Amino acid sequence: MATSFLSRKADSGLGNIRASPADPSRNIDWVLMSVQFILTVMGFFVVFSASRTRISEDPYAFATRQVVFSIIAIIVMFFVMAFDYEWWKDRAAFLYGVTLVLLTLLFLLGVAAGEDKISFDLGPFNFQPAELAKFTTLLMLAAYLSGERGEEVSYARFLGGLMIVGAPAVLVIIQPDLGSASVLVSMAMGVLLVAGAKARYIALITFLSIATVMAAFVGRLVNNYQAARIRSLINPAAASADDLYQAENAMRAIGTGGVWGKGWLEGPLTNGRDIPVMWADFPFAAIGEQFGLVGGSVVLGLIAIALVRIWRIAHLARDLLGTYLCAGVFSMLLWQTFQNVAMTMQIMPVTGLPLPFISYGGSGLIVYFAMFGLVQSVHMRRMR
Amino acid sequence: MAADVRATRLGILALVGTLLFGLVGARLWFLQTVEQEALQEKVDTTKLRTVPLLPERGRIFDADGRIVADNERVLTVAVDWQVIRRSDDRAEIFRRLSGWVDVPVEEMEARFDSQVYSPFLPMPIAEDIDERTATAIKERVEDLPGVTIIEDSRRVYPYAPLASHVVGYMGRITAETKDVYREAGYYLNERVGQFGIELSMEEELHGNWGLVTYEVDNGSRIVREVSRTPPINGNDVQLTIDLDQQQYAEQALETQLMRRRLELSTNPKDPETNFQTLVFPDYPREVPFKAPAGAVVVQNNDNGHIIALASYPTFDNRWFESDLSGGKFEEIFPSVDEFGEPIDPDESILVNRAIQGRYNLGSTFKPFTAYAALNTGLMSVNDYYVDGGNYRMTSVPDDQCDAGLVRCVYKNATCSGTGRSCVYGAVDVETALAVSSDAFFYRVGELLMTENDYQPVLQEQVRQFGFGADTGIELPFEFDGTVPDAELKAEYADRGVISESEGAGYYTGDNVQLAIGQGLLSASPLQLAVGYSTIANHGFVMKPEIIRAIYEPGVPDALEPGFADISQARLAVEPNVEGDVVRQISMPQAIHQEINEGLRRVIQGPGTTSDFYHSTTGEKLFYYYPRSAIPIAGKTGTAQGAGNYPWNDSSAFAAYSRDPERPYTVTAYLEKSGYGSQGAGPVVKCMFLQLSGIAPTDPVVLSDPLNTDSEVAAEPKQLADTSCYEGRFSSVRTTE
Repeated sequence: MATSFLSRKADSGLGNIRASPADPSRNIDWVLMSVQFILTVMGFFVVFSASRTRISEDPYAFATRQVVFSIIAIIVMFFVMAFDYEWWKDRAAFLYGVTLVLLTLLFLLGVAAGEDKISFDLGPFNFQPAELAKFTTLLMLAAYLSGERGEEVSYARFLGGLMIVGAPAVLVIIQPDLGSASVLVSMAMGVLLVAGAKARYIALITFLSIATVMAAFVGRLVNNYQAARIRSLINPAAASADDLYQAENAMRAIGTGGVWGKGWLEGPLTNGRDIPVMWADFPFAAIGEQFGLVGGSVVLGLIAIALVRIWRIAHLARDLLGTYLCAGVFSMLLWQTFQNVAMTMQIMPVTGLPLPFISYGGSGLIVYFAMFGLVQSVHMRRMR
Repeated sequence: MAADVRATRLGILALVGTLLFGLVGARLWFLQTVEQEALQEKVDTTKLRTVPLLPERGRIFDADGRIVADNERVLTVAVDWQVIRRSDDRAEIFRRLSGWVDVPVEEMEARFDSQVYSPFLPMPIAEDIDERTATAIKERVEDLPGVTIIEDSRRVYPYAPLASHVVGYMGRITAETKDVYREAGYYLNERVGQFGIELSMEEELHGNWGLVTYEVDNGSRIVREVSRTPPINGNDVQLTIDLDQQQYAEQALETQLMRRRLELSTNPKDPETNFQTLVFPDYPREVPFKAPAGAVVVQNNDNGHIIALASYPTFDNRWFESDLSGGKFEEIFPSVDEFGEPIDPDESILVNRAIQGRYNLGSTFKPFTAYAALNTGLMSVNDYYVDGGNYRMTSVPDDQCDAGLVRCVYKNATCSGTGRSCVYGAVDVETALAVSSDAFFYRVGELLMTENDYQPVLQEQVRQFGFGADTGIELPFEFDGTVPDAELKAEYADRGVISESEGAGYYTGDNVQLAIGQGLLSASPLQLAVGYSTIANHGFVMKPEIIRAIYEPGVPDALEPGFADISQARLAVEPNVEGDVVRQISMPQAIHQEINEGLRRVIQGPGTTSDFYHSTTGEKLFYYYPRSAIPIAGKTGTAQGAGNYPWNDSSAFAAYSRDPERPYTVTAYLEKSGYGSQGAGPVVKCMFLQLSGIAPTDPVVLSDPLNTDSEVAAEPKQLADTSCYEGRFSSVRTTE
C-alpha cells in the first residue's frame, strides 16, 4: 500500500522491530531531506535581507510569503513521497497533457492580452506552468524511456523523447522564458545520457537547442531584456548600460564580501537598490556580500551534498525508471544552480532562473519540493 | 542494461557536475579573494550622478502665429575641477581651450582663482559659444579631458517690447513662492514666469523635467549612462492678441500721451466772484497736463477675445533675460525717486494698467446707470427731465440742506461759452447720454435709492455688467474693481482710506456721485470694455479671453522668419472659439435701442438746443470720421483727480462697433490728460480707423537686439501718421 509508511504496523512479526527494513517509511534519505530544509530556511533569511529595503510598506512581506510557500511545498512533497513512483508513472501522460494544455492556454491568453505572459494570476500568487512542466515532463520522459530495456536508446525512441521535451520547451520559449526552457533541455540531456543515448544524439540536442535560441532571436520571441542580456555577455561594449550595471553590481556585491562577508544585513549593495529583483534573481549576491566566501561555499556545498545524494539514489534505484527520475532531477538542479550562480558572477548571461530553494518564488519552490519527493520515493522503495 | 554501463553514464553526469561546480567555486574564490580589493575600490569610488534634463519651455504665439516668446539654446564650455587642480595640467588645458573659445588664458586663470563658481559643478570657461565650436570641442574629447559642454536655454522675445505687459517676463523663484514650486517638481534655481502670460500659463509652458543617471568614477567622470527619462516639453500657447493691432494701440497710446503733455490746462475764473478770481487761486492760469500713463483695450465683443491690451509706461521684457546688475535694474525700473521716496504710482512701469488700473470711470459709467433706471422701471424711454444746470436733492429736508449739514446741490459741468454750468433743458435718457447731462443722472442716482427703500439697486444692476469683480482673464494680478456700498465704505473707513464719519453709512449723496461714475467707484479699462461689449452684444457678459489655443509641444517654425507654422500644430486643448458667456443679462430691445442711440449721437450728433446749441461730447472729435469706417457708438468720460484740479482730470473713452460683422469694443484711459474727448477719445478713434483698415499702420517687424546701454525701460515709439487724432475739439467744458 502506497501510504503504508504513514500507518505504522503494530505487529510485523519481527519482535520489537515494528516495520521491516524494506518498509518505505524506514528508508527516507534523511541527509537529503535535511540539506533541503536547511537550504530552504537559509532562503528565508536571504530573501528577507535582499528584499527588506526594496519594499516600502512591510519589510517582511516577501520573507513571510516564502515561509507560507515552503509550508505548502512540504505538504506537496509528502504527498508525492506517499506514492510509489510507479503510481506516478501511470499518471504521467495525464499530468503531461494537463501541462501542455495550461502552457497553450497561457500562450493564447498572452496573445489576447497583447503582452508576454509567463504566469496565471491566481490572486494571492502567480502560478507559472513552466515550473510545473519541469516535474511533469521529467515524469513523462522517464516513463517513456523506461519502457525500453536495452544498452542504448534506439533512434526512434530517442526522437520520441525529443518530442516529449520539445513540445513544452517550445511553448515555454514563446512565452518567452528561455531560462525555464534551458532547464527542460538540461533535464532531457541528463536523462537521455543515462538512458544510453549515443554521443551524436546528445550532440544533436545541443545543436537543436542552439538553433532554437537563434530562431527565437530571429523570430523576436526573445523579449528585449533577454536579447540585451545575451548581447551584453557576448559583447559588453554594445550592451546597454542598464543591463551591464545590474549584473556588474551583483558581481561587485559578491566580490566585496571577501572571505568572511560583511555580516548579516550589513551589505551596502544588498541594502541599496542597485540590484533589481535581487530576492529572486540575485540571492547569491546577497549571500556573497553578507557571508563571504564562507557563506557562498556553505550554500554551494549543501547543494553539492544534495546532488551527491540524488546521484547515489540514482545508483541505488530498483529500476530504470527510478534512475531516470533521479538523473533528471540531478541535471535540473545542477544546471539551474550553475546558471544562477554563474550569471551572478558574470560568467553566464543574465536569465530569470531562480536559485533552487533560496530564491523567492512559490511555483519554483513547490516544484523542487515535489521533485525531491519523487527522489525520496525512489529511495524509499529501492528495495524489492 | 548492465549495471556498470549505467554506472559509467551516471559517472559522466557526476563529472559534468563536478566540472560546473568547480568552475563556479573557482570563480567565487577568485572574486572574493583576488578581486576583492579591486571591486571594493570600484564600489567605493563609483557613484551615481543624476542630472536633470531641462524641458524646453513652450513658446508663445500671437493670433497670426508670430513667435512672441521663444527659446534660445545657450552652450557653455566648462571644465571639471579635478583635471585642473594641478597647475601644469591646468595651464595645458587652458592653453588648448583658449584657441577654441577665444578666451585668453589669463582670464581662465582669473576665473579659476575667483572662487565664485560652485566646486560641485564644472567651472565655466566661456558662455554662449556657437554650435560649431561646441561640436569641435566635443569631437576633441581626448585632447581636452574633463571639458564638457553644458546646454541651457534662454528666453527670447523676438518682437519685444511689443506686448511686454501681456507676454510678461521670467525670473528666479522667490522666497515666497519656493514652497509652491518645489511641490510642483521645480528646481529652485529655475527661472519661472513672474508676470503676464509667462506667469499665468506657467503650468502649460513649463513641461516636466527628465532625468539621466550616470555612473561616475571618483574623478566625477562619467563612466556610463545608467538610465534616462526624457523630459516632456511645455505646451505652446497662442494668444488672441494680434500684434498688428497691439503695435498700433501701443503707438497710438504713447503718441497721444506725449501730445497731451504739450497741452495746457486752464485754471478757470470763478463765476461766484463774477469771474474776478481764479477757482484755484494758488495755481497759475495755465498748468501743463502730466499725462503720465494710460491703457487701451481692444476686444471682440462677440466672443470676448482680447485683440490688443496696451499699457503705458511700458518696458522691454528682454531686460529680464539680460543679466542686469542690481544697480542697472534700479536705474531702469526705479522703485524710489531721487529723494529716496517711493516713486509716484503714475510712473510705475511693471503694472499692466489695462487690467490693474484702479480708475474712476467718470461719465463712461452713465450708460450703466441709464440701464439701471430703465431696467428697474424707474423711468421709461419717453420720460423727460428738465436740466436746469444743477440738481437739488429732493429727499433731504430743506432745513438740513440750508444749514449746510448735507450737500444737496450738485452742479453740471461748466460750459466754456458762458463760464457757468451748462443748461441742457428737457432731456430724455438718449439725449442725456448724448450731451452727458450730469443733472439728469444725479436725479437717477437719488431716485434709484429713494424709490427702492434705500436698497443697493444701482449697485446690483451695474454689478451684472461685471463691475466690482475680476473678469477672469488669464493674466495675473487683475484688479477686482469696487462698486461703492455700505460695506465698502465701512471697509475703507477701517483701513483709514476715508474718515470714520464718512464711512458710517451709505448715503443718497453717495448714490448721486456713483450715478455719474465718481466717488468710490473704480474699475479697470478691461472691465469697462467688458461692460460696453455687453451693451454691444445685447446682454452677454463675455469672459475676456486672451488664450486662443494651446498646442502640443513642437509647433514648427514657418518659412517666414518670426512666425510659427500653426497649420502644423496639434491642439493640446480644444480652443474656445465661441468664447465663454459669464452671464446673460436682461436687455430688452427698447432699452438697448435707447442707450445705443444715445451713444451713437455722442459720436455723430446731434446734441440738444436749450439756451443755445449744445453739441454732443464726441461730435466735434468725430466730425471727420469717415463713413467707410466702422460705425460706432461710444461715450466720453472725465474722472476728477486729486483736488478737483482740471489738470488732474483723467480722460476715458469707450466705444463699440455698430457693425455686427466687425464686432469690436475699444476702451482707452489716459491718466491726467484732460477731458474724455481730448485724451482718450482720439486714441479710440484712431484705433477704430486702424481696425477699419483706413489708418496707415506700420508693419510689425522683428526687433533689433536689446541695447543694454540704454537707460530707459523701452525705446519710445511713435504713430507714423497722427492725422487720425484731429477733430473739431468740443467747446464744451463738461465732466462729460
